[in-house]
Amino acid sequence: MRDFAVLGLFDSADALMAAIPKVKEKQLGRLETYTPYPIHGMDEALELRRSPLGGMVLGMGILGALTALGFQYWISAVDYPIVTGGKAPGSWEAFVPIMFEIMVAFATFTAGLGMLLLLNKLPFFGHPILTAKAMLGITRDRFALAIEADPELDTEAAKAALNAVGALDIEVLTRPEQGPFLSADFILRTTSGIFIACLVAGLAMYGAVKLMPVLSPVSHMLNQPRVNAQQASSFFADGRAMRMPVQGTVARGYLPFGVASPEAAAALVNPLPRTPEVLAMGRQAFTVRCAVCHGPAANGVGSLGSAYGAKPANLQAPQFLAYPDGKILWAIVNGKNAMPSQAADLTEEQRWAVVHYVRALQRAQNAKDEDIP
Amino acid sequence: MRTDSASKTPTVLLGLLILGGLGVAASWFSAGPERFWANWILWFLFYFTLALGALFLVALEHLVAARWSVPIRRLPERIATLLLPVVPVALIALGAVPVLYPGSRPAALQNPLLAGKAVWLGLPFFSLRTVLCLVLSLLALAVFVRGSLRQDASRDPGFNVRARKFAPAFMAIFAFVMTALAFDWISGLTPEWYSDIFGVYLFAGGFLAGLAATTLTLIHVQGQGRLRDVTGHHRYNLGGFLFGFTVFWSYIGFAQYMLMWYGNLPDEVLWYRDRLEHGWHGITLALAFVHFLVPFFALVTRDAKGDPRRLRWVAMLMLGAHALDLYWLVFPVLGKGVLFSWPELSFAVFFLAGGLLWIRKALTWGEDMPVGDAFLRQGLEFRL
Repeated sequence: MRDFAVLGLFDSADALMAAIPKVKEKQLGRLETYTPYPIHGMDEALELRRSPLGGMVLGMGILGALTALGFQYWISAVDYPIVTGGKAPGSWEAFVPIMFEIMVAFATFTAGLGMLLLLNKLPFFGHPILTAKAMLGITRDRFALAIEADPELDTEAAKAALNAVGALDIEVLTRPEQGPFLSADFILRTTSGIFIACLVAGLAMYGAVKLMPVLSPVSHMLNQPRVNAQQASSFFADGRAMRMPVQGTVARGYLPFGVASPEAAAALVNPLPRTPEVLAMGRQAFTVRCAVCHGPAANGVGSLGSAYGAKPANLQAPQFLAYPDGKILWAIVNGKNAMPSQAADLTEEQRWAVVHYVRALQRAQNAKDEDIP
Repeated sequence: MRTDSASKTPTVLLGLLILGGLGVAASWFSAGPERFWANWILWFLFYFTLALGALFLVALEHLVAARWSVPIRRLPERIATLLLPVVPVALIALGAVPVLYPGSRPAALQNPLLAGKAVWLGLPFFSLRTVLCLVLSLLALAVFVRGSLRQDASRDPGFNVRARKFAPAFMAIFAFVMTALAFDWISGLTPEWYSDIFGVYLFAGGFLAGLAATTLTLIHVQGQGRLRDVTGHHRYNLGGFLFGFTVFWSYIGFAQYMLMWYGNLPDEVLWYRDRLEHGWHGITLALAFVHFLVPFFALVTRDAKGDPRRLRWVAMLMLGAHALDLYWLVFPVLGKGVLFSWPELSFAVFFLAGGLLWIRKALTWGEDMPVGDAFLRQGLEFRL
């Protein structure tokens, strides 16, 4: 067992401060002090180097603010730009509180963990000072000056030096035998401790979340002065809480069909070009919405027709071969006889694409010899 | 000890005071009463809040039994005596009320938003509140500063007890005076607009100005070889206060802005729109820089907070920033864009020369340190 340090005890901070320079000039080893409370001027007396913690905290704080700014900007302006509360996506003003919080979180975690783990080199079990008899006094009213091995220690010279500066009591600390740092026992106890802590915290949280909402004042969130759907309200003249849209309101993407009769519709010209993409779109829409009754070949033989005894139009019949494009569109939008309107399920583009596809089916069923290349 | 240039300073300042005074008088006739009164209110508030800020620093020491600030306490005490010349300035400023404050005009009774507040905003009650603010401030000045100056000779420890007992009451007085000043003299310019936090906003700026004036005076008198026992440790605390309150001011200012920006209510955002249009956008940005970003990064390191050269220019900057802040608060109501010409310059010269003359005189009152205070030794031994 090698000696780790020689400890000299003083009964006041002033006596300790006075002793430091005298011991320091003898250069017997590294000096360290153990005191009940921080003492002004100790850093200078021991000539400790300036802690790098301040710079670390500043850097991490700025990084935290920028991280929060980047996250919020990316979410609200790049990945999912959405107008909230009438503010443009990426309004920086709204980001500032979160930036502030994340900056503080980064800075405090850096200060706390950086101090404990990086600079104070924790976890560090069994510091020799903890075994000292003087420890009881040091936590109360004694001020200790330690000459520590660096890496060797001349114990007798150190004792003499501390005696010379008037230490009340002198104690030699030996380096305790240390077991392996990560023993199986330690790992088991640590992990089970963390597990139990998580379990307790989780159960407490579960209980709080389940129980708290029914307790006042948390339950006040449930009792808000607002009206729900289908409720009565004395505020409006008609006594209803739900309001009708303003007269003439049009849903987004559903402009009214500007033609009054099938005859007027006959004059409409299909605005879409006859390209493979348009025909593919028409085929898809026809298969989903039309083929079930009119049949895949548009000949009126669909799977639903026989089941319900209805007679869907045979679009291959001569009168439909001569039918204008616009009247087919009219039928899609407004329905015809037993056929319901398809306007809610097909966009304007899809309707015209279906018209193209019906034309293609008609041509395919009535092919002539000249069509074969 | 005084050099030739130092003995010439009062003559130069007196000359500037007279020159500025002529400009001030000319601006009444040339630029019109509205602009005259806007300038007058700016400087009245500048000195009132600065003096109150310094007095707050003194009161804080008594309230929390701080020891570190005992050796420098005489400086904020002397700066707080600016409350004496502020009295005539404030009484003259009451002349601005019928001109600039819509709430005190007869037309306010026609405006349903103002009719209910007519009694509060009318000239008689308005004047009463201002006089009350002055009386309460002078009372605090008498307790803290006159008592402290008398203690130099009497060495009466009873002063510390009296000051400590009065300090909590002063905090209530201070809160009332600052809030009344902010609501009456600044919010009152646009009486339809209101912000609950406005008193705190003015407090942040005023305390910062008081701190900056204290720091600047300390470094100035140390340059003359006085207050040699005041060390970098004391300066560090002043620097730390300055640093902290730049953040506090920004926090309050931004919190006020953000809530109104988010709510987007017409009666609230119009006040900000006036300060973001017609050239005021640049002033708003400049304010963010000189009142927050520049001093924050100038004082962020540990050495900077105690460095006299750094502190000197930051303190000057903060005094300028406080004046700019008040300019930004008051001048947009004139509705003429960013006005800065010879009337503003004359007012600045007149009031700065007057203020410096007063501080110069005040720096001879009493000992440089409160030698009668039993805690002075503890204060001198202060180490970080």
